[in-house]
Amino acid sequence: MQNQSQIWQQSADKAQRTASVLRFLLWVVLVAGVVLSLLPFYIMVVMSLKSAGELAGSSVWALPKEWAFSNYQEVLSNKNAPFFLFFRNSVIIATFSTLGVMFSSSIVAYGFARLKFPGRDRLFMILLSTMMLPGIVTMIPQYALWKYFGWIDTFKPLIVPAFFGGGAYNIFLLRQFLMGIPRDIDEAALLDGASHSVIFWRLLLPNMGPAMATVGIFSFIYNWKEFMGPLIILNSPENQTLELGLATYRAANQNQWELLMAGSVLVMIPIIILFLLGQRYFVKGIVMTGIK
Amino acid sequence: MTRLRFRLLFFVTLLLAAAASFANVTTVRFSVWDGDKALETIRQLVADFESQNPDIKVKLENYPDYNLYHQKMLVTYAAGVAPDVVMMDPQHFQALAVRKALLPLNPFFEQTPGFDIKSYYKPIVDAHSFQGTCYALPRDIAPMGIIYYNKAMFKKAGIPYPDGTWTWDFKIRPELKEKDFLWVCEQFTKKNPEGKYVQWGYTSGWTGLFADMIVYATGLLPYDNMESPTKVLIGSPEYAKALQFAADFMNKFHYAPSVTEQSSAFAGATAQALFVQQRVAMYQNGIWEVPNVRKLLKPGSKEFFEWDVALAPAYAGKDGKKVLKFPTGGSGYGIMSSTKNRDAAWRLCRFMGGEPGMIAMAKAGIAQPAIRELAIKPGLWVPGPNTPIEEMYPANRIVTDQAVPYVQFPTTSQYYQAITDRVNKGQELIWNGQKTAAEILKENAVDAQTRLDFLRKEEALPPFNWPLGIALCSALFAAIVVWVYRPHFGKKLTQLERGETRSAYWFLSPWILGFLIFTLVPMMLSLMMAFSNWDMILPAQSRGLGNFNEMVNIDPSFWKSLKVTTVYVIFSVPLGIIGSLGLALLLNQKVKGVSLFRTLYYVPSITSAVAASLIWLRVFNAETGMLNFFLYGPNGNWPIGRMLSSWIMTDPSKPVDWMATEGTALPALIIMSLWGIGGGTVVFLAGLQGIPTYYYEAATLDGAGIMQRFKAVTLPLLTPTIFFTLITGMVGAFQAFTQAFVMTQGGPNDATRFFVYHLFGNAFQSLRMGYASALGWVLFVIIMLITVVQWWAQNKWVYYEAETK
Repeated sequence: MQNQSQIWQQSADKAQRTASVLRFLLWVVLVAGVVLSLLPFYIMVVMSLKSAGELAGSSVWALPKEWAFSNYQEVLSNKNAPFFLFFRNSVIIATFSTLGVMFSSSIVAYGFARLKFPGRDRLFMILLSTMMLPGIVTMIPQYALWKYFGWIDTFKPLIVPAFFGGGAYNIFLLRQFLMGIPRDIDEAALLDGASHSVIFWRLLLPNMGPAMATVGIFSFIYNWKEFMGPLIILNSPENQTLELGLATYRAANQNQWELLMAGSVLVMIPIIILFLLGQRYFVKGIVMTGIK
Repeated sequence: MTRLRFRLLFFVTLLLAAAASFANVTTVRFSVWDGDKALETIRQLVADFESQNPDIKVKLENYPDYNLYHQKMLVTYAAGVAPDVVMMDPQHFQALAVRKALLPLNPFFEQTPGFDIKSYYKPIVDAHSFQGTCYALPRDIAPMGIIYYNKAMFKKAGIPYPDGTWTWDFKIRPELKEKDFLWVCEQFTKKNPEGKYVQWGYTSGWTGLFADMIVYATGLLPYDNMESPTKVLIGSPEYAKALQFAADFMNKFHYAPSVTEQSSAFAGATAQALFVQQRVAMYQNGIWEVPNVRKLLKPGSKEFFEWDVALAPAYAGKDGKKVLKFPTGGSGYGIMSSTKNRDAAWRLCRFMGGEPGMIAMAKAGIAQPAIRELAIKPGLWVPGPNTPIEEMYPANRIVTDQAVPYVQFPTTSQYYQAITDRVNKGQELIWNGQKTAAEILKENAVDAQTRLDFLRKEEALPPFNWPLGIALCSALFAAIVVWVYRPHFGKKLTQLERGETRSAYWFLSPWILGFLIFTLVPMMLSLMMAFSNWDMILPAQSRGLGNFNEMVNIDPSFWKSLKVTTVYVIFSVPLGIIGSLGLALLLNQKVKGVSLFRTLYYVPSITSAVAASLIWLRVFNAETGMLNFFLYGPNGNWPIGRMLSSWIMTDPSKPVDWMATEGTALPALIIMSLWGIGGGTVVFLAGLQGIPTYYYEAATLDGAGIMQRFKAVTLPLLTPTIFFTLITGMVGAFQAFTQAFVMTQGGPNDATRFFVYHLFGNAFQSLRMGYASALGWVLFVIIMLITVVQWWAQNKWVYYEAETK
């Protein structure tokens, strides 16, 4: 008896040791991967901190000899591409469209995932089909539609459609997630006479944290970085977004790499912060009340 | 009471209208592609114009991306909201002019007292004219026969500064010394002890620039008529000789750095960087580089050296007669025919493209005036006696004037982009020495001629039959609705089911409304356009099935692009799924700093596309790239690399030049796509969180090991997420565009000509939106079919916890 527990203890120790070795190896692999995937970012930052002259005269990999923080100052204070105004525009567009996407795509996904009605699967096919036509060929009719609504040179075309479905990609993502949540609990609630709105709002939404965080972050980033849409829709210089503003540093024959890179780093920072804040929902968002 | 209010309202309105007409301020929309410093100058000019013309308000719009500027103009014109005054150039005006989207300016010239178009340089006026009518008032002319030279390097080598009297020939002529351009170049070519070239005599802003100069100076032109070409002439042996010389100049004689050498060591603007680093003594480009070079070589800074500009050399000539000829660029201002304020538009046009505009642009060092009198005025363009040191360089700006009589514009044909795309196809392979000029040009001559003949051949087509189109689309819509509900016809729903259906439609209503309002009509319109011939400017014509026939039987790039895209999908999608799933599993472990890791792995997905493409070009660089470092080792002789070289490269002694080799460009883009797996990883992480932990607990109690738990729990419960990634990944990969647009332009030799890139070229470069729409719908059908198959197949492998059949 005693012997046996000793053996058991030993093997557990051994397992623990192998586990910690494995964990260490894993950590090494992860660090190596991070280094590889961050190299481009490193180049971006390094380029953004060199003066134009030094940039032209040095290797891409070399650290700056003199740290030219003035590039950042120049980007932030350039009157030809007012950073803070563009920042404000980008924040407005990205925030509201993200709200719209999170709100409407979760509702629609619930309808597709957890309710049964005639034509459901075929309607879903139609939903998916809206992703399949390249945007270039619908650009002009779409633009004419915005003109008809009087929405050209406003943020509306970039925000309002988000409240109407939020896009096939997001609906599909949430639908898949919802279809993975066991049904027993909402069936019980239904028998108790709860309405679908109550089930959605009270029972399922709290369990959709990771998926909702994903959709939220994706759509914020998508709208933050979107170039073609704002380019076509917004005319006035004061309505432009950060991503459009960056283009000013690579205008025809006038590439200013150091400013382009400084601008790109500045544009990335808010998203990194958002991601750092949002990503804990990927893990902690799982309240899984009652289901587990 | 109400009546009184109405009357009051009426009078107020009348009063307001009267006041408005009294002030009579018209607004003119004015769009330019300038950014930053040039935009600043334009803004100041607009302010000056407004203060001089209180009856006109100018709304300045800028899209600082040359290609997308033209695209946006077409979109706005098609929708009837084009700007009034637009920046134009010789390569783009004709397509608009022949369709009457631009106003002819000659009537304005004649009506304006004191205006004389003859005061402008003739070549730039001609370049903006079609059949004798001018469509854009020139803003500047930019001959590219300007050589920036490093005075210090010349002094050190004991060579007199170039004075523009030098010549070049296909062979070096040492007896002429500094009067022979090749001899001068050779004096600066240097190797380091390891035998690598580290210094050269010359480089041009881009390789095609030098090649064009050789072509033009030897009396060749790519087309029989540069305004309205009918024959493509690039198939001749002389033409091949000229391009081959441009390639040998770099690769054989080493007078100029090779393409790889250029791109290996520098961060951004390559040719210019070589000049600034004092690794080339001479650098050819247009005068517009001056503000940049001034900024890089600030007097008093570490980088500074004395420099100036000189006229590029003339061709010595076959019979001893010197020939001067340079490529050139230039731009102007045009008026869109949709404008409602012709007079105001012309006044703005004349201001910007007249003395005030040119003086301001010249003072900023941005553009040489297109009015000769201003271009030669000391103190304005040419430095005067009291010019401050910052503006002193270059001192010899007068050469820009000397160059003008010898300029050659590229074709101004309305088919410019469509045919140059074919003429230049695979040229990068000449420059990097993988193919000879004769090989490439022989094929391109045929392709370009076929394309030109095709575009020139006007089909007599009837106007588009809108009632029929709308009727068919409505019928299609009705058919789809029937298809959706047909299985349920005649079935009676129980009350419970009816209730559920009702709730379902409430939940679906945002999407259904959005689909009907925002998506359906544009989709239907583009479907109709797929059966039309539509240039976005003139009314659409009916083409029946002509577009589809063209794809299958006429357009060789259709099959090529379909193949390229399919290969891309087949490799990038599964690799992406495996990569992101694997990474998600790793990042789901309890490891120190895992949350930080998650963020860091996501960083690549949010890096700006431009920055990323810059960086990738360096990763894949043949000589100094990171990838080749791992394959060839520090000394370049590792067996894997050698093996790859002998397998892929025509010259096995060279390392693989990933982005510029036909066989490896697409694989390189596939590798690149893996860099963005952070997005898929996030989706999988979310999916992993959705797996209830009690399944794992149960499996562990049953004695399952790590692998068994993965196979029995993780994988099955993750299948809905995998399915999602598969479908959306495939949809996205079929529509890949940005990489080709930003990095490869579809090259080399169409090796990365993605389907949507081909579509884009047809839409906005050839102005064939009808054909592009047809392409778009073919892609739609392909993606749809694959999706349907996968949808059907998912029953076999996707496990849904909460499936409702």
